[in-house]
Amino acid sequence: MWVLVMIEGLTFAAYFVVYTYFYRQSPDLFLASQAHLDLTLGVVNTIILLTSSWSIARCVERSRAGDYKAALRNVLLTMAGGFLFAGIKLYEWSVEIGRGFTFTTNTFFSFYYFLTGIHLLHIIVGSIALFVVIHQLSSPARRAQEIIETGATYWHMVDFLWVIIFALLYVMR
Amino acid sequence: MTAALARPVAAAAPATSRLGRIAWNWRHNPKLELWLAWYTILVFYNIFGIVFFVMTRSQPPPKAWWSLPRMVQWFADNEWGLLVGFGIIFAMGAFATASTALITYSIRRMSVSPAFAYTYLILYSLAAVPGMLLTCIALVVGAMRLDRDPALMGSLYDMGFIAFSGTMGIFLVGSVIWAVAILLDTNRIFPRWFGYFNICNALTEVVVATCVIEKSGPFAWDGIISFYVNMVVFGIYTGVFITLLRKMIEREDFTAGSPLSQHRRPHAI
Amino acid sequence: MGISAQARLALGWLLLTGITLFAWWMGSSHGPGPLRPDPAVAAGAIAITVVKVRVIIMEFMDARHAPRRLRYLTDSFLALFVIAMLATYRFA
Repeated sequence: MWVLVMIEGLTFAAYFVVYTYFYRQSPDLFLASQAHLDLTLGVVNTIILLTSSWSIARCVERSRAGDYKAALRNVLLTMAGGFLFAGIKLYEWSVEIGRGFTFTTNTFFSFYYFLTGIHLLHIIVGSIALFVVIHQLSSPARRAQEIIETGATYWHMVDFLWVIIFALLYVMR
Repeated sequence: MTAALARPVAAAAPATSRLGRIAWNWRHNPKLELWLAWYTILVFYNIFGIVFFVMTRSQPPPKAWWSLPRMVQWFADNEWGLLVGFGIIFAMGAFATASTALITYSIRRMSVSPAFAYTYLILYSLAAVPGMLLTCIALVVGAMRLDRDPALMGSLYDMGFIAFSGTMGIFLVGSVIWAVAILLDTNRIFPRWFGYFNICNALTEVVVATCVIEKSGPFAWDGIISFYVNMVVFGIYTGVFITLLRKMIEREDFTAGSPLSQHRRPHAI
Repeated sequence: MGISAQARLALGWLLLTGITLFAWWMGSSHGPGPLRPDPAVAAGAIAITVVKVRVIIMEFMDARHAPRRLRYLTDSFLALFVIAMLATYRFA
C-alpha cells in the first residue's frame, strides 16, 4: 500500500506543481477567483478529515491491542467522517455552481473542480477500503491486521492529500 | 503430477550453437507459447512507440483549439508519416492482443474466479484494438485526400484524438479488474504492490476525461495534466507490467491450476 | 515511553487542528480589497502544510516505527515537494 501512497503522492505533487505554475502565470485571475471560495468550509472539511484520520489511527491501535469492539467503533466514525466530508464538498460545489463558477469558467476553477473532484474520487475508493476494514473487524473469523492497517494507510493518504489541496486552493496567495 | 512435468523441463537446451539452442527450445520448451507472446508484446510496443511518436507525430497530440485550416495543415505536414506509419499498424496492430492474452492467462493462473480473466479479456479486446485502430483509421482517412472539405477534416481530426483518449475509460476499468484479482489472489502470481499500482494507474487515467470539455490548457487532450502526467504514469506502469509478466513466465512451473498443466506439446513444426 | 499510544495520537490531532486554525487565520488575514500575491503567506502555507503532512505520516501512519528506509523515502519526498513548490512559486 505504501507503493500506492508514494505513486499517488508523486502524481499529486506533479498536479500541485503544475497548479502553482499556472497560478504564477495569472496571479490576479487566480486570486480573484480564490476570493469566491469559502475558506470556512475548507477549514471545516480539513478538520473533519483530520478527525477521521485520527479515528482510523485509533482503530489500528485498538485492533493491535485486541480491542476489536473499540476498533470497529472507530472505523465507523472514520466512515461517517468521510461521508460528511463528501456531503460538505458536494454542498460547496453546488454553491459555487450556483454563483456561476463551473469547470470551464477559468483556469483556477478548472483546477478547483479537478483537484477536489479527483480527491473526492479517492475518498470514494477509500470508503471501499473502509468497508473492507469494517468487514474484517466485524467477525472473529477474519480480523487480518494487515488488511486493517492497509486500509488505514490509504485513508491517511487521502487525508494528507486534502491537507495540501486545502493549503493551495484556499490559503496560498 | 502431470505427464507434461515428467518431460525433462529442467534439462536445459544442449550447449550447441545459438541456432541449435533456439531450435531445441522451439521443439521442447513447454513455455514456448508464453515466451512468444511476451516477445510479441515487446516488439509491438516498440513499433507502437516509433509509429505514434516519431512517424505519425500523433503523440503527443497536436492542439485541440486549432482552426480548421490549421488542422488541414497538420494532415498535410504529416501526410506520409500518417499513411505509412498507420499502414504498419493496420498490418500488425493485432499483435497488441498478445498483451491482453498474456495478462488474461496470468489472471487465469490466479486463485480467483475465471470470470475476472474473461472480463479483462473482453474489456481489453473492446478497448485496445478499436481504440487504437479508430485513431489510425480516422487520421489515415484524413491524410488520404487532403482536398476534402475542411469541416470533414476537422471531424476526422477530432475523432482520431478523442478515440485515443476516450478509450482510457475502458483501460481504467480493466486495471481495476486486474487490481482486484491480484489483491484477492492466493497464488501470488503478482506481488501485492502491483495490485495497488494498478489502482494508481486507474485513478490517474481518470484525468483524461476532462479533454472532452477543455480544448486548451492543462486539461486538454494535450494538456500537462490530462496527457503528460497521465502518460508518465502509464508508461512506467507498462514497463512494470511487462517486466512482471516476464518474471511470471520464468516462475511458471505448470502446477495444478495452470491452464497449461494438461498441455501436451504437439510435435514441433 | 512516557505517554500512551492513544494519548500520542490525540496530541497529534490537537497539533494538526491547531495548525489548521492558524492556516485559517493566515488565509483570512488580508485587508479589504482584492487579494494580492504574498510570498510570505505562500511560503508559510507550504511550510505548515509539509509539517502537517509529516505529522500525519509519522504519527498517524506510524512511520515512526517503520524501517528507516521508509522514513528516508517519505522525508525525501516531502523535501523534494517543498523545493519544487517554492521554486515554481519563485521562478514560474
